[in-house]
Amino acid sequence: MSTQGVMQGVTMAYLKTIGIVNNGDNGRGFANPHDVVVSRDGRIFVLNRCDPARAAAIRIGICNLDEEYLGEFGNGFGDGDGQFGLPVAMALDSQERLYVTDEHLHRISIFDTSGTFLGKWGAMGSGDGQVNGPAGIAIDADDNVYIADQNNHRIQKFTKDGQYVGQWGEKGAGNGQFNMPWGLCAADGHVYVADWRNDRIQKFTGDGTFVSSFGNSGDGDGQLSRPSGVAVDADGNIYVADWGNERIQVLGPDGSFQQLLRGQATLSKWAAEFFAVNPDEKETREIADLTPSLPPHLETPYQISSQIEPYFWGPVSVKTDADNRLYVAETNRHRLQIYQRN
Amino acid sequence: MSNQEFALLAHLMRRAGFGATRDELEAYAEQGYTATVDELLNPGDPEVMPDDIIRRYHVDQSELRQLDGAGANWLYRMITTKCPLEEKIALFWHGLFATGYSKLNQARALLNQIDMFRNHGLGRFDNLLVELSKDPAMLLWLDNTDNHNGAINENYGRELLELFSMGIGNYTEDDIKECSRAFTGWTLGNAEYMAVRASKDSIWPYSRIAWHFQYRDWDHDEGEKTFLGETGNFNGEDIIGIIARQQATARFVSTRLFQFFAADEVDGDGEQVIEAMMQSYFDSSYEIRAVLRTLFLSDYFMSEEARYARVKGPVELLVGAIRQAGSYRAPTLGVHQLAYQGFFMGQGLLQPPSVEGWHEGMEWIDSGSLVERVNFVAHELSNLDKPGVRAIIDRLAAENGGVLTPEQLVDECLDLLGPVAVEDDTRTALVDFAAAGGGALNLSGHQPGDAAEQRVSNVLRVIASTREYQLA
Repeated sequence: MSTQGVMQGVTMAYLKTIGIVNNGDNGRGFANPHDVVVSRDGRIFVLNRCDPARAAAIRIGICNLDEEYLGEFGNGFGDGDGQFGLPVAMALDSQERLYVTDEHLHRISIFDTSGTFLGKWGAMGSGDGQVNGPAGIAIDADDNVYIADQNNHRIQKFTKDGQYVGQWGEKGAGNGQFNMPWGLCAADGHVYVADWRNDRIQKFTGDGTFVSSFGNSGDGDGQLSRPSGVAVDADGNIYVADWGNERIQVLGPDGSFQQLLRGQATLSKWAAEFFAVNPDEKETREIADLTPSLPPHLETPYQISSQIEPYFWGPVSVKTDADNRLYVAETNRHRLQIYQRN
Repeated sequence: MSNQEFALLAHLMRRAGFGATRDELEAYAEQGYTATVDELLNPGDPEVMPDDIIRRYHVDQSELRQLDGAGANWLYRMITTKCPLEEKIALFWHGLFATGYSKLNQARALLNQIDMFRNHGLGRFDNLLVELSKDPAMLLWLDNTDNHNGAINENYGRELLELFSMGIGNYTEDDIKECSRAFTGWTLGNAEYMAVRASKDSIWPYSRIAWHFQYRDWDHDEGEKTFLGETGNFNGEDIIGIIARQQATARFVSTRLFQFFAADEVDGDGEQVIEAMMQSYFDSSYEIRAVLRTLFLSDYFMSEEARYARVKGPVELLVGAIRQAGSYRAPTLGVHQLAYQGFFMGQGLLQPPSVEGWHEGMEWIDSGSLVERVNFVAHELSNLDKPGVRAIIDRLAAENGGVLTPEQLVDECLDLLGPVAVEDDTRTALVDFAAAGGGALNLSGHQPGDAAEQRVSNVLRVIASTREYQLA
């Protein structure tokens, strides 16, 4: 498996890393970031999924590209308003209201970008408009809300107020069928689905008509292993969080392979500040080889990423911004790696 | 299939696995005892809960930053595996080569060590010791990262001989020193940085960095060494080759396997089985699989004498009850609490009390742990929502049109939960309890949670509280 870019058309260049692990205390840092969105004013919202054992760290953190930590909201673990069980993904509507899915509480919570709780909708079940483990979420230009209804193996479409509009899909591996769908992206009138356990991306029209499918199981160029996220830029280029392969793939608008990204994290501003006051770790780190060769039994992508800190580890979500930047949220490394399109 | 054959298979599965449901026992019975032993000793696809499903749901088990998620991760495997001996032998080696989180602050290294036990734990003992000596968790746990050419640290060399292979009295202090010299240069990649991080429990800046083995030839003592009477320019593998050939090693390994899989106490009959196991050890070039096969097929193991001759370890008890109840078959919020539960009963996975492991047998039981044990099992096996409990009710309802006397109810429940053989006075007390619920039980037309089902639940709960259920 190649580890870094083979370049044809669109290419991405590493820009920077933002983040540091947060162990549940207030303040900056991330706790198993699971998704990221960027508002029009450049604020970066990071969904900290964490786990119930560190309940206070389950929240949404806000920072900017200059690595200023701007605050956080969400009331930790619980089923009250503004609280989360197992939050999965976020999307902004046209008025920049933030929608957050929760696969444990089977609901969607809505906040404004200052963190005020605005409402919630959703109920567990398999009927029209009911959800079972809602995962990915995308909102199109007309404020239609699409939900990856994970355990019902379908995509459901709602109004922004949660009124049921329609659905498509069922469990299976054929065109238009799904196996535990995860990430979604709505772009140019289409909906892209990270069809997680089918190892592919499927593309549909906004009403669910199948258009095309990209990828199959494997670790070669253009092949996928449990893709968890998908993003599409203004020119139609497709970015896939190839979660099981611990990498990002860049595809052209037709799904053609363009580039592999394996991750190349550097010290964030917050990480550098940590080492400035922990010289013993800094000194031993400086003589360490952070990209060592590994024995054969540790050569799965997952094991490699657990050993080699600069590589992506748990790259669960990809998002683009208006300036052709790509944001990769890494669940297991508590950081964002940011790339710039050339 | 006679009741005695079922009872024998149930005995085997309590020892070589974590017990068995009636459906599983029926499948094993079709192939017979010897074929079941061979299937257990030669694991195929364990069909455990898929790793991707676990990691998608449990971010803590994907990252493995902390201990609780790691313990839960192993429990998922024990609960769902179709190859239970693979997990049981890993649990055995975890107790013998006890390595703990407290000093390492690195749960992933511990789970990687457990995976090594899965892969090598039934194979050749010398191979297992080589893998153990290269295991990153062990290297840091027993300070081999501080064992340098010209400045040895004897900790690993000493425990390798005393606790992991031959036992005290079979080597000299000089042997320990020479053994330690042979393991100089066996360390972790980036050992200095990793040691600082471990000592500070540092998760900064981007979580744990996992460990791997590194051999530093420049730090290895190339000089001549004399070990157990043999002289040469020995490296670690050579030392282990010498250890594996020793009679004391065969006895040590066979005895420990006997005590874990057959009986807490070794009597005269047991001593004869251990002799046979030692012979298999040498005949097979140190294959643990062959040693265990000799044990499981011995008259002693298959006799009544070996039944209920062990106190279930907390993890055996916990996993056995969960497998019987059919719980945790899919990712479940709060599963990390199960890892704590084992700790409350006296056996926290990946956190043995010391390098000597847990003190087993009757030492598992004290007033506090017994309450935890009984409460957990009783709660699990009396929950009418659990698939395994529903399967028991369905079987009861199919007997005699669902009408059972108190005696029948008790006997059937004892049978379906094991079979569990209880003392006469225990059975009498159980029947009295069942009868107090009101004469014959009629399950015809039963509905989930109704009074008839509740009576079954009550009997299951009391059986789970018996002394016999605490034994393997």
